[in-house]
Amino acid sequence: MSETKQFEIQHKSVEDIDCLYLSGYLDAHTAPQLENALEGLISKGQKKIIVNFRELDYISSAGLGVFMAFIEDIRETGGDIKLANMRPKVFSVFELLGFPILFDIVHDEKNAIENFGRMISQNNV
Amino acid sequence: MFSSKIISENLLCARSELTELSKIRDFVRSQAENFGFNDDDVNKIILAVDEACTNLIKYAYKFDNSKEFCVLVETDFNIFTINIHDSGAPFNPLDVMQPDMTDYMKKFKRGGLGIHIMRTVMDEIVYCPSSESCPKNILKLKKYLHSYQPTH
Repeated sequence: MSETKQFEIQHKSVEDIDCLYLSGYLDAHTAPQLENALEGLISKGQKKIIVNFRELDYISSAGLGVFMAFIEDIRETGGDIKLANMRPKVFSVFELLGFPILFDIVHDEKNAIENFGRMISQNNV
Repeated sequence: MFSSKIISENLLCARSELTELSKIRDFVRSQAENFGFNDDDVNKIILAVDEACTNLIKYAYKFDNSKEFCVLVETDFNIFTINIHDSGAPFNPLDVMQPDMTDYMKKFKRGGLGIHIMRTVMDEIVYCPSSESCPKNILKLKKYLHSYQPTH
């Protein structure tokens, strides 16, 4: 299998949640595209971001580093980046480094939205 | 402009540019699959080579795309070895301390995980800095094929 498709990001906004759909190969060459996309959302004050990995075939440490760069700041504002629909081979890279402890990795978008709902209820207690 | 090319069945030379990573991964994937590794091991090998080449391009060659490096695959019984040859300043990744991942995550650090990944997913790593007898630095990433059955 050769890597015909490099990397693409699609963006969808529903109410106050932004979802980024990743496809292809996320490495040191393509990671700046994701960094720009997240930077753009966060600089506009978006706090609830879901990254959907359904079509992502590959991630290296450069891709993981993008999430590390933003997760602390967005959580300090009461928001989060939730990671959904990860394929096993991509999840295994997160797992290799113990990152599932750090990130909210969920089965699908629905779970991510539910978890955002829970965060709001907890903040209101 | 010089671009990556497969010199022989088991040798690929690439210019020092991040766009070359996908071609290197394709090349290594094909070699590892042919050797008989399962998908999980193929993915680990590709990841280790990607991390090694990324570090080379970023730190040894500082994105100078006039430089090149080569990836040579050698096999010996059940041992699959990827040799990465470069002419940058010698840098032994084995001299780098393993990160404390608990502390790493607590401080939301970024970067510096490539060598840790290489050491975690490969069975053996050997580094030979350039010398009078060998003008290139050579990083050897080794993985054993555990399902190997000798034919004799």
